[in-house]
Formats: sequence, structure tokens, C-alpha cells
Amino acid sequence: MRIQLAALSLRRHVSRTLLAILGVAVSAAMLLDMVMLATGMRESFASLLGRNGFTIRVSPRGTLPFDTEATIAQASDATAAMRRIAGVTAVAPVLGTTIHVLGDAEPVTAFALGVDPSVQGDYELLEGNDRGPGDALVASDALLRATRARIGDTLDVAVGFDPQLRTYTGRRRVVVTGRARFTYLSADDRAAALQLASVQAMGGADRTDRVSLFMVRTAPNVDPESARVAIERALPRVTALSTAGAVAEAQRRLSYFRQLAFILGAVSLTVGFLLVTTIVTVSVNERIGEIAVMRAIGVSRVHVVQQIVIEGIGLSLAGAAAGLVLGVFTARYLNSILRGFPGLPDAIDFFLFQPDSAFRALGLLVASGIAAGVYPAWRAASLPISTTLREEAVG
Amino acid sequence: MAIGRPARSRAARQISGVTTRRLRALRRGLPALALVAFALPAKGAAAQRIDSIAPWRGTERTIAIDERLAADAGLRIGDRVILGAEPGSPTGDTVRIAAIVERRADPAEVARSEYRIRMHLDHLQQLIGYGDRVDRFAIATAGGAATDSVLRRINSMAFGFRAYRSREIAVETSKTFLVVSRFHRAIGMITIVASATFLLCIMLLKVDERRRDVAAMRLMGISRTTVIRTVMLESSFVALLGSLFGVGLGFVTAAFVNAHYQSVYRTPLRFAIITPSTVAYSVLLSLVLGIGAGALAARRLARTAPLALFGR
Repeated sequence: MRIQLAALSLRRHVSRTLLAILGVAVSAAMLLDMVMLATGMRESFASLLGRNGFTIRVSPRGTLPFDTEATIAQASDATAAMRRIAGVTAVAPVLGTTIHVLGDAEPVTAFALGVDPSVQGDYELLEGNDRGPGDALVASDALLRATRARIGDTLDVAVGFDPQLRTYTGRRRVVVTGRARFTYLSADDRAAALQLASVQAMGGADRTDRVSLFMVRTAPNVDPESARVAIERALPRVTALSTAGAVAEAQRRLSYFRQLAFILGAVSLTVGFLLVTTIVTVSVNERIGEIAVMRAIGVSRVHVVQQIVIEGIGLSLAGAAAGLVLGVFTARYLNSILRGFPGLPDAIDFFLFQPDSAFRALGLLVASGIAAGVYPAWRAASLPISTTLREEAVG
Repeated sequence: MAIGRPARSRAARQISGVTTRRLRALRRGLPALALVAFALPAKGAAAQRIDSIAPWRGTERTIAIDERLAADAGLRIGDRVILGAEPGSPTGDTVRIAAIVERRADPAEVARSEYRIRMHLDHLQQLIGYGDRVDRFAIATAGGAATDSVLRRINSMAFGFRAYRSREIAVETSKTFLVVSRFHRAIGMITIVASATFLLCIMLLKVDERRRDVAAMRLMGISRTTVIRTVMLESSFVALLGSLFGVGLGFVTAAFVNAHYQSVYRTPLRFAIITPSTVAYSVLLSLVLGIGAGALAARRLARTAPLALFGR
């Protein structure tokens, strides 16, 4: 009965009701998008770093991984020292550099990683292998396209280009043995992975026994934080960063988006609340006489309040449902814009739909809709019946 | 590069470890956009110098540090620090701080919290063993045709160099901000749709509330056109007042946003700017929506029989 009366009341002003639902839907969509933005970056970044089970990154002291071209000296000793730390199950050294693939045309420049293929966590092999005889090279699709090379081809690769003298610090012929997707790079990046020793040798004296970073895997029952502290204690010239620390750092750098999400989410919630309040208040004001009549014929105050609150819930629920669909579509669009950041790894998403967070946010909107209806409903139901009837009759 | 106090003045402590070469941004998913430390000719300092002392005439080298480093490390003009090419390097170069400079309002630097120092070019080359090398030259020209001529000459004559217009480099390096700008525009569009719906709703309700007044006016013999015009005038007045209040609120919010983010990121950059075109756009939009909603509701009211409006 109450639901039926509330539905009739909403249908009485169809255009007004539709407009209110549209308003709530846009607010709900915005709120949902902002919740997805606030949680999406953190979750997708944590998921990216957690791949392959590496829980700690070790870079030159005071730097973040690959934030600068600084390197860690005496890498072999450092590797051995870290392997001795309790709970450390694997240490993957990585040396980054720029390589030039030489040929008849202009050299093709690519980002190269020197790795130990047996413990690497930087790429996922799609085809071929990464442990061929001699100098093996694993390439990204973008590099294969740029060099028109295929698995089995031999490439002339050089490092340390001097543009004035047209010389290189090192040059080798390597065989393309595999095709890979590089976890921390974008699909458009020309990238390659070679044996660590090859990259160190091509880099000359500057790169002998040096690495850009270590990725460290810890045992599942070991707290990465304690291993991180142990690494920093054992190697004073490095900074060790756990996945949680890296996520916190990324959060700090991208705090602008998080705060923007918070502000716009709060504004959306307020707008939705105000919209439902306004609609319900006006609707109640219009029906004061009707409500007085209902009260006069014995309809209880609680019944009246419930009917009006149901109207608010109806508006909020319909708006939230429409907002859910609208929000998912707009989030995809906004995500496609932000994914245009140059060099962003493919695995990073700014907007991530997480049912828990999304439904909590929409639940909050519906709750605000309920709260929006309570006051005008209670006020209307509390009006003196006879005075209201007389005023309404006189006009 | 590392920087620390000399052992004789205070226990040497490392503050930061950075290199001077080109950065590789976003290789590990962290946006990294700016150079960390850089050497400039004496006249080339782009940052505003906020404190300095007279040029030192002795043999000791001097550096300028940014205000963030000065504040965090408690460094002052005249303090001596040790510079090293490697973090924890046992050898270093003791230098004197000669100036503290303010950071530029550069969006590329906003999210980065590293410290910056400025050194003389030869000093940095010597410190990091870079030889007689530089990463790039900045060339001032007379502008216009002179720039084209210089570009042509350098690119045809110089072996191993490539000259670019500053504008081309700016376009290439500002892709991140183009993305942010596109994102802001998209968010702005959604906000406009939300606020337009809200405004339309409110205006319709506002006019709807006037049904008894409209009925009375019609019964008194006032024409439909006059009624519609009156209601439209009233709704446009409400929209104008509301938008003016909104502009004021916008200025206050922008001031708050700027103060907040400038303090968070410790930058003079302005994050929110209200331009005359922004004001004009928002006022115009609310006027159009207000008048449109007023016209719609007024037409509907004017067409309804006056007694029906009274509920009879």
C-alpha cells in the first residue's frame, strides 16, 4: 500500500521524477567513478608489483627503481649478501641501458634489461625461449616490428653511442630467441632483455659488476618489511623498498588524483542528497492538504512518513541503478584518457571496478536519499491537521 | 650525486643520492618527469634566487640549493657540504652554499620530492667524471627567421648534434600534461552535466511552486505571454544571482585548492585558475539553463486552466 502510494505520487509528475532520477544517476556515476579512481590506482599498482612474487626492490641509495641512471657497484657481492639474509628466496639483478640495433637503415633504439633469465621477473615469454646458446635476446613486439626481426634472426646490437665520434662502448651480434611482454613497460615500448653479463660487458668499465636494481623474492611466511630492513642493514649503499612502500610512494606521487577523487566524490554525494531533499520537500509541500486529509481519516503519522521516505528511496535506488551503468561506461572512457600517459605499463588501470567499494558508495548514496526524505516527511506528518485542512481549503 | 655536510662541521650525513643524466621515466610505473640535478651557466638560472651572498673570490667552489633542501636539511647560506658522485662515496668535494633558490612553478616537478642543487658546469663535469660534455645547449636567438637560420645551420654543419625549437621540445615533453588536461576536460563535462541537471530540476520546481500566483494572474486577465515573460524574467534573475554566488564560491574554492596543494607539494604553482572565460561560460550556462527551464515550466503553467492550477 505504502509502496503503491509512493509510486503513484512519483508518477504524478513524470518529467520531474525522471529529471530527479537523471540527476541522482549522474551524481551516482560521478561518485562511483571517483571511488574507482581512488582505489583503482592502488590496487592495480600493487597487483603489478606483486606479480612474479618479488616483494622487495633494491636500488641505489636515495633513489627509486629506474628513477635515475645510478647503479649499484659490486653487484655480485651484494647478491651474495642478500641471499644470506633469512627469508630471502631469490635475488634478481637487473641492469637497464639503451641499446641500438644496427642495420642498413637508421639504428633502432630500444630500452634493454640485462637479467638473469633463471630468476627474472621483468617479462613474460610469449614465444621461444630466453636461454639460447651464446648471446640471446628476448624482444617486445614493438621492437620486433621496428627491426622487422623474427625469432632466430641475428641482430647487431650496440651500447654507449657517442654521436660525435659515431662509436659505441660495446657491440655484439645477438640471436633473437624469444618474444615477450614486458611487465613494467607499455606495449608501445621497444624493449629487449639480454643476459646480464652481456649488458655489463657492452657497457664497458662503467658497467662492470654493476646493476640498476635487484628484485628480491621472500618466503611466503616471512614479513617483507623485516627482510627489507635486513637488506638495508647489510648494504648501506642501497635503498630497499617493499611492495607496500612502493605502493605508498606511488600513492604519494599520485595523491593529486586521490584527493581529486575524494573532493568530487563528496561533491557528488552532496549533490545527490540535495537533489533528493529538494524533490521530496517540494513534493511534500504540494501535498500538504492531501497528507492532512490522510491524517484526518486515521492514517498514522508513521505511515505517512514511511510513504514519503519510500519516495526518496525510490528516487535514490532508480538513480543509483542508472548511475551504476553510467559510471562504468564513463570510468572506461576516463581510464582510456589516463592510459595515454607516456610509458605507462599496460597493467596499470586508474579506474578499477571493485564490487565492494562500488556498492558501498552507492549504498551511501541511497542512505543519503533515505535521510533526505525523513525530515520533510516528519515535518509534513506533524502539521496540525485541522489548521492545515482549513488553510488548504481557503487557499 | 650525494650531498652531505663535511665531517668537521657535523657528522657527515647523506641527504640524497641522485644522478645528473637523463631520467628514464615510468620504467617501473612511477611517474618520473624531471631532471634531478643540473648544472647551469651562471646566468642561466631559471629559478628565482631568494637568498644569496656576494661571489666568493677564493678557490672554494660554491653551489646553490633549492629551498626544499635548505628547509629539510637545515642548511643555510655559508654552510659547507660535501658533494659526492655516488651515494656513500668515501671521497667528495667540499663546497659552500652560496645561494638558496625558489623552485619554479613547473607542473613536471610537482609530484617529485627530490632535492635540487645548482653548480657551475665545469664543477659538475669534474665531479662526475663527465669530461668536456654536456647534455644539451640552450641557444638564445633574435627570434623569427633568425631561429630558422640557426636551426638550419646547426643541423647541416654540426656532426652528432640535432637542434630543436624549444616549442617542439615543449610539445614532446608535455604529453603527460595533455593527458591530465584531457582528463580534467572530461571530468569537467561530467560535472557540467550533473550541475545542469540539478539546475534544471531546481528551476522547474521553483517555477512549479508559482502555480497559484500564475493562476491568480491569469484570472485577473493578465495575458499568457506576460505571465510567461514574468516567470522567465524571474527564473533568469534567480539563475543570474545563483551563478554570481557560484562564481564567488568558485574563487573561494580555488583559493583553498591553491593554498592546499601549494602547501602539500611545496610549489608556487597555481592549481586552480579562474579565468574571465571560465566565469563567462558558467554564468552563460546557468542563464541558458535557468531561462530554458523557466520557459518550459511557464509555458506548461500558462496552458493549464487557472482553476486547475488552484486545484479546483
